[in-house]
Parts: sequence; C-alpha cells; structure tokens
Amino acid sequence: MKRTNPSVIILMYFLACLISLSMLFPILWMISSSLKPTKDIFANTLRVIPKDVTLHAYRTLRTLAGIPFEKYLFNSLYIVCFSVILTVAITSLAAYAVNRHPRLPGFQLLEKLFLLSIMYPYMLLMIPIYLIMFRFGLLGTYSGIIIFLCLGPIQYYLFREFFAKVPQAVIDSASVDGASELNILLRIILPMAKPVFMTAILLTFILNWDNWFPVLIISTSMNTYTLPVALFNLDSQLEVNFPEIMALSTVVTAPIIVIFLLTQKKVIEGFAVGSVKG
Amino acid sequence: MFLLVILFGIYPIIKSIQMSFTASGTSLSSKPEYIFFSNYVSIFKDPYFLDSLRITLLFTIFSVPLNIMVAFLLALILGSPILKKGSVFFKLSVFLPVVVPSMAAAVVWKWLYNVNFGPISAICNYLGLPEFSGLANVHTVLPSLGAVELWKHVGLYTVIFVTNLQLIDKEMYEAAFLEGANYLQRTLLITIPELSPAFKLNIVYATIQFLKTFTVSLVMTQGGPNFASNFVSYYAYSKFKLANYGEATAMGTVLFVLVILISLSAKKILSMERSTRGTI
Repeated sequence: MKRTNPSVIILMYFLACLISLSMLFPILWMISSSLKPTKDIFANTLRVIPKDVTLHAYRTLRTLAGIPFEKYLFNSLYIVCFSVILTVAITSLAAYAVNRHPRLPGFQLLEKLFLLSIMYPYMLLMIPIYLIMFRFGLLGTYSGIIIFLCLGPIQYYLFREFFAKVPQAVIDSASVDGASELNILLRIILPMAKPVFMTAILLTFILNWDNWFPVLIISTSMNTYTLPVALFNLDSQLEVNFPEIMALSTVVTAPIIVIFLLTQKKVIEGFAVGSVKG
Repeated sequence: MFLLVILFGIYPIIKSIQMSFTASGTSLSSKPEYIFFSNYVSIFKDPYFLDSLRITLLFTIFSVPLNIMVAFLLALILGSPILKKGSVFFKLSVFLPVVVPSMAAAVVWKWLYNVNFGPISAICNYLGLPEFSGLANVHTVLPSLGAVELWKHVGLYTVIFVTNLQLIDKEMYEAAFLEGANYLQRTLLITIPELSPAFKLNIVYATIQFLKTFTVSLVMTQGGPNFASNFVSYYAYSKFKLANYGEATAMGTVLFVLVILISLSAKKILSMERSTRGTI
C-alpha cells in the first residue's frame, strides 16, 4: 500500500526497545541484586550484570523467621494447587449453568452480585471474612484460605464467554438424541472446552500464587504463610538484609515468569477476555 | 457457587455495612450495639479521613487518563505493522509486569526508589538532576506510587487496545490513505472512534482499580510520609488494625459507594457520548 520511510522504522524500533527496557528493568535489577555480594550493591547499583556472582543470599533463605523455606514453599503449592482445582471446577460449572438456563430465577441476580463483589474494596471484605472464618472454625486453616480463594470473577467470565460461543444447535441435537444433561456436559462440552480450561488453570495459578492478603488475614500463625506473605514479613522487619529480600522476591517471581513465558499467548488472552467481560 | 458468592461475596458486604452502624467495641460480639450514623459522623469529622478521600480521588483522577493515554500510545507503537520483527518480545515485556506478583513488585520498587543506593536516584545523580527524594517526600510520593501502578497495570490496558486494533477493518485506512489523510488524521478519525468500546472498558476498569489502591501504600509507604499517601483503603486497614471495626467498615462503605457511583456514571457518560455521535 505504501512505503515506510526507513527513519520511521528506526525510530519505531528505538522507541519499542526503550519501552521494553524500562518495563523489564525492575525485574532485571531484582535478579542481579540478589546475586551481588553486599559491597557491590552499594557501590554499583546500576550495573545490571554483576561483576562477582554469589548465591549467598539464596543460602540465607533456608530458614525465614525460624521456619524452614520448604514449609513456605509447601504452603504456597498446597494452597495454590487445591484452590486452582476448586476454582476451575466451581466457576466452570456455574458459568455453564448460567449459560444453559439463563432464565432460571436468581441467575441474572447472581451475575450482578458477582460484579458488585468485585467493586467492593477487597481489603475491607476481609473484616467480615475474618468473622465468618472465625464462626466456622476455619481461621488459621488451609481450608479457610483455599475456600476464600475460589471466588474467581475473571475465571467465571472467561468460561461464560466460551460457553456463550458454543452453538446452541450442538446441544439441541444431542438432547434430541436423548443424551442426558450430564452426558452433554461430559461428552460434548468438556472435550470442546479443553483450551479454555487450560487458560483458566494458568490464570488461577498466577492470580492465587500472588494473592497474599487473604492468607495474611486468615492465618493465625506463620505456619500457613505462603511465599509472598513470607516476603512481606521479611521486608517489614526492622533489620534489613537487602540481598536476602531481593533473593526472596526473585524466588516468588520466578515460577510466574517461567509459566508466563511458556504459555504467553494463552495467559495474555485469558486476562484480556476475562476482564473484558467483567 | 451460589453458596460461595453469597457466603464470601455478598454476605460480607452486607455484614460490613451492618458493622459500620455498630460501636467498635461490640462489633464482633454476638450482640452488637447499634449506634446508627455515629461512625459516619466521626469519620467525616476526621481530617485525616477527608484528606485520604482527597488523596484517593486525586490519585485516581491523574492516574486513569495517564494510564489510558500511555496504553493507547503503547498499543499504537506495539501494534503497528512497521514492527515486524520482535513484536512478540515487545508485547511480552509490556505485559510481564501484569503477572509479576504484586508483593514482589511493591517490594522491589520500594528499593528502586531508595534514596541512598536505589538506581533511580543514581540515574538522577549521573544526569546531574536535583536530588531524587522518591517516597520520602510529601510532594513526590504520589507521583512515585503512580509510576509503580502505571508499570504494573498499563500492560493489561495496552493488550486490550492491541486486540481491538486488530479488529479494525484495514480497508478503512486504505481508503483514507488514498484520499490523502495523513497518519495523525487517520489516527484521530478512524482509530480512536473505532476503539471507543475499548476506551470505555479500560476507563471503567482503571477507575475501579485506582480507587481501590492498597498494596503499594501498605508495602511501600505505610501511608506516609506524614500521611501523604494515606489512601482510603489503607486508612481503613489501619483502623481495622487498631480494632476500630465500626469506623473501618464505615470507610469501606463510603469507598464502595464511591466506586459504584463513579464507575456507573463513567459508563453512563461514555455511552451517552457514543449515542450522540451515532445520531450525527
């Protein structure tokens, strides 16, 4: 259609590189600071590629506030894995039900209320949640944390969007053939929905890995702290060990970055679709 | 699902609104003492609360347009057909902060801003700029937090723009190009109107997000210095910490009403704009 001026091309690449660099800088700086010996951090804060590399900071992570690192890691994985399974199961079924029978009383209301609970300042939800958890005896338990994390509006809208696109004819023809509701769900919908399930699982993992505030509130002791909460705890101590903080930040961030780089397209799509509907 | 939404979504909201009408000392007991609007009266008499409202609104008013504008420009650059090679890399690097755990992001940025050895003040020194005071100064703390929030969230808005950019019919550009419209005219007259649903969505989404700003003020500044970053949600949290449940939930309710009002009116205004253009 038209020829682009080479100087425009160069300018665009220059801009794009500059933007990428400034977006990535904090992450690169975090990783490099965690690898530097203490004396270099204060001397050469801008040097991104460290002169001497030391894993000393990572060794200090073995115990945090008297609790072995493995315990935090176990808590994180345990809470995240169970909440992923539950969230995906619950939100997908709910979205399917609402989609299949949109006129059933209460379903429209349910969606509206769902939106409302997104708008409510999250941290203030925690006061009554604290009370509810207390009443049910779930305070300080894994189950309490996991159940609360299952409320996933983004995942719900993701499934809603997908089910809305399934042609009604497919479902109708199956039910004419005498397939039961359960059969339709298992034999027809589920195989079609595999990609969207994958996306939802990834999204939930990323979101719940990060979700530190409910963990902090529902926990009664450090025994149920996850890695991000351990990081918060470490960072708010009076005595500051800077490389240690950076090392723990890197440990908290690394799994997410790896997952994101491996599955980038799905994750970006999922975030975009989930929030577009919400 | 019903049960969960009601138990952890709706019931807590009702409960916390109910708590906002009780005396703090009795809020958690089985027989709370109702004092009606006393909590609301006392928070609206509290200059720190009024100040935190002002801070929250100011932060939102500056941050939302900034985020949307930057996201739009980023989308124009990253979605442009000129960048053939490396466009995946550019898109990834812009989106990466969105998935970085918010706790790690806030902690790392707190240290990036460190006056003594943080890289940002080092860059300022190197360029011979005046001393960078970052989070320690009453005047610079909000822009500093705004920059962190921009870094963290702009990727999401950008991706929503880019997705919508790709949906625009290419023939419209070609037709406009043949009629001699330059790049600026094409952007103003085709791209922006075509993207208006994306703009609307991003604005509403960003407004809700920024009104609820919390993590950065808890981790990075604890509301300081001298209450300069004392957002409503953070102030309510600190009241909660002091067992002032009545006042904390009253503040929460005020913020909740504010979020609903502002996002509804934003939706209304933006959809009105759209319909008037439709009639012309």
